[in-house]
Amino acid sequence: MATKTPAAKTESVLSLRQKLARYSTVRNWLLLLVFWEIIGQLRLVADGALPAPSAILARMWVDWADYPPHIWATLEGAGAGFLIGNAVAIAAGVLFATFPLTQRLARGVNVALFALPPIAVSPILVITFSDMTPRIILAAIGCYFVTMSATVTGIQQTDRRIVDVVHAYGGRQWKTLIYAQMRSAIPAILSGLRVAAPNAVLGSILAEFGGGGRFGLGVYLIGSLGRGEPDRLWGIGLSATVIAGLAYLLFSLIATRLTGTSKAVTVPASPPAPKAEKSMVLTLALGTVSFALPFLLWWLMLAIMGTPAMIAKTPVGLFDYLFMMPSSLVSLGKLATALGQTLPMTMVGMAVGLSFAFALALCSVLYTAIIRGFMPVALVTQTMPLVALTPLLVLILGRGPSLILWITVSVTFFPAFVTMAQGLSMVSRAAIEVPKAYGAGPFRQLWLVSIPASLPYLFAATRLAVPRALLGVMIAEWLATGKGLGNLLNQSRGYLDYGMIWSVSVVSVLISVLFYQIVVAIEQRVLSKRGMAPAQ
Amino acid sequence: MRLALDRRRFLSLMAAGAALPTMGRFASAASPFAFQASWINDAEFTGYFVAMDKGYYAEEGLDLSYASGGPDVIPESTIIAGKADLTLTTPDTTIKAIAEQGAPFKIIGTQYQKNPIGIVSLASNPIKSPEDLIGKTLAVPPVNVISVEAMLKISGVDRSKINIVPYAYDPTPLIKGEIDASLDFTTNVPFTIKQAGADATSFLLYDFGFTIFNDTVVVTEETLKSKRKELVSFLRASRKGWEENLKDTTVYPPKFADSWFKGTGRSIENELFFNEAQKSLIEAEGGIFSMSEEAIEANIKALAEVGIAAKREYFDTSLLEEI
Repeated sequence: MATKTPAAKTESVLSLRQKLARYSTVRNWLLLLVFWEIIGQLRLVADGALPAPSAILARMWVDWADYPPHIWATLEGAGAGFLIGNAVAIAAGVLFATFPLTQRLARGVNVALFALPPIAVSPILVITFSDMTPRIILAAIGCYFVTMSATVTGIQQTDRRIVDVVHAYGGRQWKTLIYAQMRSAIPAILSGLRVAAPNAVLGSILAEFGGGGRFGLGVYLIGSLGRGEPDRLWGIGLSATVIAGLAYLLFSLIATRLTGTSKAVTVPASPPAPKAEKSMVLTLALGTVSFALPFLLWWLMLAIMGTPAMIAKTPVGLFDYLFMMPSSLVSLGKLATALGQTLPMTMVGMAVGLSFAFALALCSVLYTAIIRGFMPVALVTQTMPLVALTPLLVLILGRGPSLILWITVSVTFFPAFVTMAQGLSMVSRAAIEVPKAYGAGPFRQLWLVSIPASLPYLFAATRLAVPRALLGVMIAEWLATGKGLGNLLNQSRGYLDYGMIWSVSVVSVLISVLFYQIVVAIEQRVLSKRGMAPAQ
Repeated sequence: MRLALDRRRFLSLMAAGAALPTMGRFASAASPFAFQASWINDAEFTGYFVAMDKGYYAEEGLDLSYASGGPDVIPESTIIAGKADLTLTTPDTTIKAIAEQGAPFKIIGTQYQKNPIGIVSLASNPIKSPEDLIGKTLAVPPVNVISVEAMLKISGVDRSKINIVPYAYDPTPLIKGEIDASLDFTTNVPFTIKQAGADATSFLLYDFGFTIFNDTVVVTEETLKSKRKELVSFLRASRKGWEENLKDTTVYPPKFADSWFKGTGRSIENELFFNEAQKSLIEAEGGIFSMSEEAIEANIKALAEVGIAAKREYFDTSLLEEI
């Protein structure tokens, strides 16, 4: 090989650069680990409340015999939830894609399932169901939206020509679905499953933490909390991270095997938009049914379960509790006070979280290596159970607004960042070349082309951030500040105030949905003006 | 290989056949009985574990199923929903629900004569009475705020002068001095603090006027009617289990290291400390679980201070008499 063709040359240069990039990423990770180790060893953070990685590993070694039954139980809950949640999701996805009307009817249910903060529904699941069921349901809810949206998108994007071939050979709707649409939807579904898998693990752990039962990492966590040993808590938290990460990897591998390519994935944040109906009456009717359906399902579920009215509030029961009882005024007052504390923090947290995600996404275009080094930290913040981190955060940040913001930003920024970064990376090269040719620097290129062009992704990221911001604020209130909805939810248990538990739960879902709808409305305005379509 | 397998299967079939008649007899005699505990498995429930392992419930004709609790498990919910026949509760919560919501509960006994809940602080920054709390930060699990407010009111301490924050079950902030005191089981946390190399000071809410029971044995009125015999059996077997456990508090926790306490995340030393510390709070003149008239009166009085109108009829001592 004395002479190389130009193509081969660029190829080898590219691979060298890739190798270098990979090397520098690994180097950054190692640097980070060493840094963490030093901080931990010298007890620099909060007087040693942040343990060194070596201490965490040593602790895991000592505790190792405890882990297997807990890990198995978590996998059992998460696994069952994953299977059920995804089966329902795929079936629903197929239904929605085949009969678009059903999708419009189910929109309310879909958005509610997407937006509900798990911490708010966990207590009512534990009240209504028993044993493994709350774990399975929470895990399944974590899977449903992602996979359902992926299925619908996958089916809708089927190549028209393949469908025509099936039609030409006399295949009907059913045949088309099996031979053409399901097949072409498989890569999309697999990418959905990949995101769903870690969600299932985290959902199960959250329900384990509160729901009683003998085994599960969440149960282990609650037992270990009282020991005041951060290294144990970090060990459990990092195991959760590893399991969630492995679940993600497993489905990435399956996807690569089956489809031969690795596709970029975003977390879907909107039910794929059905075509707008011309008739106003029909739109209104569909909207009403879609709004009523979640309430109907809620009522139906309780009716089937036969849970006594004292603890399980139906929509009617809740209305009575909030408006018709002598104690209603007091209840509403409590709820309003809590909302007054929670809502402003949620909005601020969302704004800060999104700004942070946006700044990071811009950095990811400008300084790639730093971002790669930062990714592991970001992943840990996503999968570490927050209860394990709270004592540390409280010691560092106190119990004021800064703590709420920190927790909120940490649960909000990551999915938003991934979505925004993807948007920025998908901007057409040719468009960027124009300002470049006129001598614009990287910042100006971003400002003139990349940011406007990735607007749909900015909105998608905002939609993702909405429910998470509320979740973050409620967690901080529950664990640290003792104010707002998060605290009210917990305190109501001490008063056996079931009406209030349900109220907080329902109100937090409604707020999430409302915020979500506001974002969607703004999005449609802005994007349609610019002739853009929303990103999934 | 095939022969060995067959022989093994044959033997196990024989064994199953031999066991069948006895199993049948037990199955028809033992009535299923579901018990919901109020927290994860720790020394708080040792007496029941002893009674189960020693077969005391089976002797009484009960087929007991035991469910552990957790932060989101509201014990009272499980008996209303029919998931459990009997549960252990915090009496202020239960009684408030009876008085204000007409909840159909009856208290038929109590595990703790004196509520083990107290204010725990570091010996280096000691809080020895409710007055000492003024100007301090106290961490309280949100569910227990009601108890703390009661104790403060009874002691004449202004609640607004104390900074109450949520307690998230982890004593690290207390050990590190971020908070001055926390509300927890005094049978438990002082051990953890000692492990961390510090010394703890604590006082019971009970000793400052909040004279209530804890882990009150609660059933619904319906269960009380329909399963009276089983309830008496449960109390009798459980009392036997607790008596056996408290004879020597060091015996049972280590024995449960690989069963009841396996993988709870706590340590056996911790359970030993707990078991010893709870002894004086459980033992009663009238026998374990008993509720004397004076004690019931003290409960009603303490709760009245915080506006919870408890009545004598919420307590049913007749089953204890049948033991």
